[in-house]
Amino acid sequence: MQEFFDIAKTDFMDTFEGAWLFPLLVTAALWILWQEKDLTRKLLLGALPLIFLVLYWCPLTGILFMKILGENVYWRILWLLLLAVTIPYGGCLLLKKRTGLQRLGVFLLCLAGIVLCGENVLSEESFEPSTNVYKLPQYVIEVGELLPGHIHAMMSNRLMPYIRMYDPTITLAFGRNALAYNGIEETTSHEQLLYLEAQKEEMDLDVLIPLAEEMDITFFVFSNNRTYIGKWEDYGYEPYGSTDEFDIFAKKGYENTGEKAE
Amino acid sequence: MRLEILLTAAFFFGGSCLTGYALRRLLRLGQEGFLFSIVAGVMCWWALMEMILVPMTMALASFTGFVTVYTILVLGCVFAGCFCRKEILADAKQAAGAAREYITPGHAAAFGLILWQLYFIHHHMYLEWDDTYYVNLANEAVQSDLIYWIYPETGAIADFDKRYVLSLWPIFYAWLSKLTGILPTIMAHTVLPWLIIPLAGMVYELIGRRLFPKDRQLQGMFLAMAVLLHLFMSGEHIAGITFLSLTPWVGKGVLAGILIPSLFYWILRTAESEERGLWILLGITCLGGCLLSSMGILLSPLFVGVTAGLAGIRKKSPQYLLKGALSCLPCVLLGIYYIYLTH
Repeated sequence: MQEFFDIAKTDFMDTFEGAWLFPLLVTAALWILWQEKDLTRKLLLGALPLIFLVLYWCPLTGILFMKILGENVYWRILWLLLLAVTIPYGGCLLLKKRTGLQRLGVFLLCLAGIVLCGENVLSEESFEPSTNVYKLPQYVIEVGELLPGHIHAMMSNRLMPYIRMYDPTITLAFGRNALAYNGIEETTSHEQLLYLEAQKEEMDLDVLIPLAEEMDITFFVFSNNRTYIGKWEDYGYEPYGSTDEFDIFAKKGYENTGEKAE
Repeated sequence: MRLEILLTAAFFFGGSCLTGYALRRLLRLGQEGFLFSIVAGVMCWWALMEMILVPMTMALASFTGFVTVYTILVLGCVFAGCFCRKEILADAKQAAGAAREYITPGHAAAFGLILWQLYFIHHHMYLEWDDTYYVNLANEAVQSDLIYWIYPETGAIADFDKRYVLSLWPIFYAWLSKLTGILPTIMAHTVLPWLIIPLAGMVYELIGRRLFPKDRQLQGMFLAMAVLLHLFMSGEHIAGITFLSLTPWVGKGVLAGILIPSLFYWILRTAESEERGLWILLGITCLGGCLLSSMGILLSPLFVGVTAGLAGIRKKSPQYLLKGALSCLPCVLLGIYYIYLTH
């Protein structure tokens, strides 16, 4: 039970943090319950959000939803609170009896209230200016432009989530689930050993290349601040190209089969 | 890119509008206007996709095969809509007559805010961590011609993830990509916001019209406040409508910001008049919600259950409750299938 309340509280705080929209929602719902004459509307617009809040906080329903949805996404129940319907309707009830300039003035006050209670979603903190039509970081585009298609590659973790959005014919040795390997100190899994070697500031090619060849990797793209023990040429690889931030190494005479890795 | 956005938007809104007209005639719904037709048409497209996509994915059908079948069906709906000239003309006449009424401070503010949102999103990028899975799912469909039999993050052939296989929303924009020749990454990040954000505005406009049928000023003010709330929300990312404003291409955002408010609209309508067509549209919307996210399979019937329950109690009508429950049937069936797949 305590665990349920802890999760519900954390999810609730995360959803409404940094803003005063929850008090605004409750105020709007109570205002609708008080002012609205039509009972159906009173229920659908005023009572409904409060009922969903009760269902969210009630351990009986909450634990059931948590089981069905999953504990880590319980906050999604809060999507059922129609803030963008309840709050505007509450505001409109305030405006309903007013006309002319008075209505316009109260409308502007309502808008100001929303701005003050909310947090700017379209802020420069969340967004970055777009430099390309893919809406991907420019360093991804620069690497993508250099790489040929239909290759199997191992990439820096900075590129790994984005490169296939630029060119889906490139296949990767690791996806995001490899991030779970970080911190592993002892392992015999070749896949994990390869990943962990590639995270080192100084990579030992004697370790890296044989493991990579087991996975049919023909291209490597690493940050250009990495150093290597050994020479790529000695292992049958050559520098293929570089950008401001990344170096690309390719297997000499690599074959571009276009086939999918199993 | 402007031309591609314009053409895709013309196809999406024009096609869904005609589909909506065909649906309206089929369901014998009266003069409802263009916005109603667009929203109904979009829900119909999504529901239709869910109906076709799930069996085709399970049957290991090729993406090209899916595109062919779905395109023929969508074009069939659009073609059927072309025969609704009488209804379209009647709505056009009414819209032309009432156009001036919509020039209100609220509508102007809402229009300005939506334009600002589109301008901002068009010139900025939001790096969504999950895109590497979902956008690449669409990329792979176009690239490999397989539906979800590739692990999207690496491109390796793999069994599909049973948690997501019933809700392959990225295939919707992969389909648009296939029709337009635009890479799904560009379709999602650059084109889709121009479809989804105005669509959200349309749903709130419809709700406003229903709540204040005789007061255009209040309709506009309601819309402006709803749109502003999309721009000033809370809870980085996880609050439903914040999701839509940050990443309009993500199915969960569309579910929270468009589909659930649409369900509310249909229930508002059925609470006022229990037309059979409106119940069917509620059911279609529930099914469409299943395409957007596996959350839709649970959240849609939960929302409809509680909301229709309240309205049913108010009406003291067990029949109303029964109809509400029936409209959730697509979600219930898919929910059972989901449990079967995942256990």
